[in-house]
Amino acid sequence: MTPHQLYLSSVLKRPLTNAAGQLLGRVCDLAITPGEEFPIVSQVLFRRDGQTYAIAWDKVVLFNPRVISVSSSSADIASHQESEGEIHVRRDILDKQIVDVNGAKIVRVNDLKLGRHNNALCLMSVDVGFRGLLRRMGYEKLWGMFQKEIPEREISWEFVGHLEANAARLTLTMAREQLGEMHPADLAHIISRVPRQNIRTVLNSLDDETAGEAIHELEPELRSRIISELDSERASDILEEMSPDEAADVIGDLTAEKAEELLGLMDAEDAEEIQELLEHEEDSAGGMMNNSFVSIPADITVDQALQRVREQAAEVDTIYYAYVLDADEQPLGVVSLKELLVHDGALPVVEVMTENLKSVPIDADPKDILEIIAKYNLIAVPVLDEDNKMVGIVTVDDILEIFLPLGLKHKRHPSY
Amino acid sequence: MKLNKKNILLFLSVLGPGIITANVDNDAGGIATYSVAGATFGYSILWTLIPITIALIVVQEMCARMGVVSGKTLADMIRENFGVKTTAYLMLFLLLADLGNTVAEFAGWASAMEIFGVSKYISVPIGAFLVWWLVVKGSYKIVEKIFLFACTIYLTYIVSAVLAHPPWGEIVLATVTPSFEFKPSYLMMLVGIVGTTIAPWMQFYIQSAVVEKGVAVENYNACRLDVIVGCILTDVVAFFIIVACGATLFQQGIHINDAKDAAVSLAPLAGKYASALFAIGLANASLFAASILPLATAYCVCEAMGWESGVDHDFKSAPQFMWLYTGLIVLGALIIMIPNAPLIAIMLISQVANGALLPFVLIFMLILINKKELMGEYVNSKFFNLIAWLTVVVMIVLTLVLVVQTIIS
Repeated sequence: MTPHQLYLSSVLKRPLTNAAGQLLGRVCDLAITPGEEFPIVSQVLFRRDGQTYAIAWDKVVLFNPRVISVSSSSADIASHQESEGEIHVRRDILDKQIVDVNGAKIVRVNDLKLGRHNNALCLMSVDVGFRGLLRRMGYEKLWGMFQKEIPEREISWEFVGHLEANAARLTLTMAREQLGEMHPADLAHIISRVPRQNIRTVLNSLDDETAGEAIHELEPELRSRIISELDSERASDILEEMSPDEAADVIGDLTAEKAEELLGLMDAEDAEEIQELLEHEEDSAGGMMNNSFVSIPADITVDQALQRVREQAAEVDTIYYAYVLDADEQPLGVVSLKELLVHDGALPVVEVMTENLKSVPIDADPKDILEIIAKYNLIAVPVLDEDNKMVGIVTVDDILEIFLPLGLKHKRHPSY
Repeated sequence: MKLNKKNILLFLSVLGPGIITANVDNDAGGIATYSVAGATFGYSILWTLIPITIALIVVQEMCARMGVVSGKTLADMIRENFGVKTTAYLMLFLLLADLGNTVAEFAGWASAMEIFGVSKYISVPIGAFLVWWLVVKGSYKIVEKIFLFACTIYLTYIVSAVLAHPPWGEIVLATVTPSFEFKPSYLMMLVGIVGTTIAPWMQFYIQSAVVEKGVAVENYNACRLDVIVGCILTDVVAFFIIVACGATLFQQGIHINDAKDAAVSLAPLAGKYASALFAIGLANASLFAASILPLATAYCVCEAMGWESGVDHDFKSAPQFMWLYTGLIVLGALIIMIPNAPLIAIMLISQVANGALLPFVLIFMLILINKKELMGEYVNSKFFNLIAWLTVVVMIVLTLVLVVQTIIS
């Protein structure tokens, strides 16, 4: 008889008997197989005299905190031979860390809730709260006498992302999808708290673009460590998907050999763009800029300009400004997306654009860049080289990062 | 490891955990214990340092190795392998021992300030606030660098010991000749010395530090060197503290009742400035450890129990962490402010608590580090296992004998 709902802690170490009431051993674990919706309990493992035995779930007659009994005789209990990649609840999930996909953080499993689903016993949720902790230790009732409301937290299985390589198969598609949709900053927060060995499991469930965004949000040290440890093909794929200035940041932190190797594996065009950026001083406009931006010629209408923006939008990060450049790539003016949308489509762009655009030289100091961005309320400021050609833009978020007060920077641990 | 530029740079890049742990090891409790040891037993207790150093290296190296190979902290590993019940009880005892240590740090701070004539009722609240504020509001890296630099003060012990012109021949002999007394005070001293040198919280600390630093398995040799150097450094300082005290206090039959007495050990170097010099050293050691110890403990317990942790949180988002951290500091400070609290005795007893907890932590470590599925090919060698188990047995025996003796008397 499958119970409606019970906790793992209430069945572990309980005696297992057969139909005749003979003690067969004590329950020590449960083997589970990945299911469509929830993992299904396939075997009950128990110990007797130092040996571990397994019995298939269909032989179980009663399974509740009071009585656990199975319907076979001692004859057909086989000593447990573990098969490849078998997942055990207590060994692989209990007390381990998992990703709470909903809350975007790493938590530890204190207990597990099992329940009936489609006529099988399944893992329904993990208990990561204080109540689960007390229950495991046997103090739930005692504590309940002092505190009426014991804080409890259970995470339904759909929102659990597994970190252990063995258990990774248990992560449901829904959790994977949600993980992929998380904001890169939240992903980076999770990655920074995941034990080193399990980082690969998390990265494997992300596509290259998301992985790249998340990696860029990490602290430089952790970031270069992770990229160096990824296999080179994947690392270069991820770098290709990143915007050039972000990829340049990451590559800039690597050793010369690793950087060369990854650049070599990348698409030639992308590698070239990145290398251009790497040539500049890190703390100058050239080192911070993104060399992909929207540029339009002067002799088109507003409608045509909007069309150009649409065409370039897939490849360019910041499309809020379209820069009007002449044949020599020197800037004539800038027009914002708002202006393009508001004005009559037939107007020539030159009538709508703002001339006298503010810019910074390629060797500009971060302070000067900040001043200009703040003074003129810009989202991005163009960067000009010695020939007055426009070579890139520095966006406001990159400048902000440099000037963030020390206290606001994310502190996980005191740095040892 | 070849001595070339690449390896030197590698060593410098993984440098940190071992050296820092070593300096924090010589905290108020450490200085007090070594000083009293030297003053009470003279050079005859020096022999304990060599076996203790070996044990320290073995223990710290094991933790560093576990951290590098598994990428997990000791608290994590214990939780994942021994379950939450065992972990919870261990954390409870660790918390108690660390409370004792924190109290010792504030005792040291209070003693040091008393040498300058500042009453403990003024100095302790200021010290507690300073520590709390530095960590929560300040940039930890800068704070750490300041403290580390100030640790160069320990050199004063070396110079002082030399200037006291002690009989070096006798000292070297004493260092290699074991001598044992069955007095409770001697046993207590032994447990205290081991406890202060191989304090349990340091095992958690160094493994966390190594994990945080992200040392790769390939670079482990450099990391191991850092750990070994750190351990040797710690005990070199301990050696000279004992010698300096032995050459001054022991010879003159002065017993250390408060910090002013211990300062006499620096008289050969600093003459009438000995007190001031000692006070500065003790104050620095106390404050440094007081800013690290409660923090490391709070992190450790919260991570093991799965509670949110981090100094950038507040009491709402990480209540257990903030309460533990603040609680340790406040409680530590309050206990010291009890009138007529025997500061030196408190410092000593806290280290004895360390020594008593040590065998249990070591047993867990030994089980973990010999598990192939966790450590792969980096499991313990027979030699390491021998030394580690020997340390466990010796500590358990010493502690039991001490407890029995205390009960009888």
